[in-house]
Amino acid sequence: MKMLEIKNLHATIDGKEILRGINLTVNAGEVHAIMGPNGAGKSTLSNVLAGRDGYEITQGEITYKGENLLELAPEERAQRGVFLAFQYPVEIPGVSNIYLLKAALNAVRRYEGKEEVDAMDFLSLVRDKMKLVKMTEEFLHRSVNEGFSGGEKKRNEILQMAVLEPELSILDETDSGLDIDALKTVAEGVNSLRDPSRSMVMITHYQRLLDHIVPDYVHVLSEGQIVKSGTKELAKELEKSGYSWIHKTPEGETA
Amino acid sequence: MKMLKEIHTDFAAVAASQHEVVNQPRWQELHEQALAQFERSGLPGKKEEDWKYTSLWAFGQQAFQHLPVEPSHVDATPYQLNPSAYRLVIVDGMVDRTASNIEDLPAGVRIQPLSESIDAVADYLNATIELEKPGFNALNTMLMHEGVFVEVDAGVSVDKPLELIVINSGNTVDLAVHLRNVIVMGENSQFTFIENYVSEDSATGFTDVVTESSLAEKAVLTHYKMQRESSQQFHIATMASRQARDSQWLNHNISLGGGLARNDIHTQLLGEQAHVTMNGLYLISGKQHVDNHSRVDHAVPHTSSEELYKGVLDDKSHAVFNGKVHVHPDAQKTDANQANHNLLISRGAEIDTKPEMEIYADDVVCGHGSTVGQLDLNQLFFLRTRGLDEKTARGLLTFAFAADVIERIEDKAMREAITQMIETRLPKP
Repeated sequence: MKMLEIKNLHATIDGKEILRGINLTVNAGEVHAIMGPNGAGKSTLSNVLAGRDGYEITQGEITYKGENLLELAPEERAQRGVFLAFQYPVEIPGVSNIYLLKAALNAVRRYEGKEEVDAMDFLSLVRDKMKLVKMTEEFLHRSVNEGFSGGEKKRNEILQMAVLEPELSILDETDSGLDIDALKTVAEGVNSLRDPSRSMVMITHYQRLLDHIVPDYVHVLSEGQIVKSGTKELAKELEKSGYSWIHKTPEGETA
Repeated sequence: MKMLKEIHTDFAAVAASQHEVVNQPRWQELHEQALAQFERSGLPGKKEEDWKYTSLWAFGQQAFQHLPVEPSHVDATPYQLNPSAYRLVIVDGMVDRTASNIEDLPAGVRIQPLSESIDAVADYLNATIELEKPGFNALNTMLMHEGVFVEVDAGVSVDKPLELIVINSGNTVDLAVHLRNVIVMGENSQFTFIENYVSEDSATGFTDVVTESSLAEKAVLTHYKMQRESSQQFHIATMASRQARDSQWLNHNISLGGGLARNDIHTQLLGEQAHVTMNGLYLISGKQHVDNHSRVDHAVPHTSSEELYKGVLDDKSHAVFNGKVHVHPDAQKTDANQANHNLLISRGAEIDTKPEMEIYADDVVCGHGSTVGQLDLNQLFFLRTRGLDEKTARGLLTFAFAADVIERIEDKAMREAITQMIETRLPKP
């Protein structure tokens, strides 16, 4: 089953074209990695998928489970099972983690026509999920990401993902700013959510995340286009030779 | 000319007609002084510095009534903030005895309506306010007819708060009420006073109130004010205090209602280690106008003040904040902090904020600041990617902005009551 299908996607910001014809198909259960150097359009792609304002789609389409994703507001995408783990998670003083988790879960449940979650059931659910990312209960009552270390913020993103159980997760530079222990914890959390009915798109600059969350497919993004696709071996190749070879390839031959 | 020129209500005539009503020497003396002052200076116009951003033009156009059409009984229960408190209910300017509950008090505290404590209260009147100050002090002094008088004896901690509930039933169009509350606290006493101003949605009128408090050594007064009158009401209020050494005045001032609301909050820290907390929140929309003017006088060494006012402004609402901290020449080791933060959630909203510090001592720790901002778009986007619709996300962020003012309210029941009240103004998650 096709989970996500991106066809000839062109996107601009402030009149500047960043995505220049992206094609990508992600089937249910697959994990894809999109790698690329700085400025390739990685963040733009994740923002466009999540629905951030400020981008203009000039050509192409994105279909999520058969629906036109581009017509949906960010919250509608979330309610339908699209999740973005942020590269830079925002701090929200005054809103506790537990409140956010509950509000988010209930928003999804309401869309699915389910009753709001019972307080006791919710707490035991959250406690289970916190174990996945090795977070202590103290974090539940703190304001969202306020005063969290870089690693704690990333784990908090994965906690939200674990509670919401999205069908399509976009992990934007989830490894950035993590030491090796934190990276392992985050990867374990993500791996535990792998499932034949769920798909993931990992967006990353470095190969090291892929040692811990092994993708089914690897794509190389350069100058707004996917210039090469392959298996996890491609990532190893990139690690060895870097991204410089990409630029030497004439554009016409890679597109 | 700094005076407001057009005033359609003849306040002086109303006051003159009431001159003989209270036959008590101190009252009569104050009445005459106030009337003379009012005739000299009237009400402030826009050229008056302290009234620069708050126009009384619309106020002047109103013809207020001073006699309610009939005694009204309104069920005060839905309005009360603290169900277990002692309660004095004033409806349309008159005490509602059946709704009140001030009979069964412990030893060492006396609570009476102002109209029943003429002699007892006389010596304490106008101890904290000046008639000459441009504003409503003279008007309130010449027209005050009801309110509450509280005396707490030395060493007494009153077991429960007193909640004063002031209701405009809407039965009398454009009704003006003039209230004076006086709290006198003995040494080492403790008391909690809740002022709660409400009105029916359709009510129109003018609430004029001055609350004076005198705190002897080591006295602690926790003082809440909640104002959520209808958006056609005029509300002009002063809370003024004099504080002896080691006393604490913890003032929480929440403005949600009123068409035009003005609060003057003032204390004089007159003894070492005296402390004041001024905590404020205004949450307004439509064409509401709220003006908070505060002043702290650090008169002696080793006193402290902590002030945080926050505002959320929607639609075409307008807020004014002016905070003055005055550190007198001898007041070394003063510790003063003042902040005013505003969130504008609509393009049409407007804020005039002016924190001021006048420091005449050299060994002090003083800080102040003010900010004006909008909702953070990154936070908003983040919440939406978690499934919260835009309206809910905005409401949540708005509430989060106000949260630290609410967290400063130590009493859990009051914190929850005020939280609930604020949440009714915001979209529910």
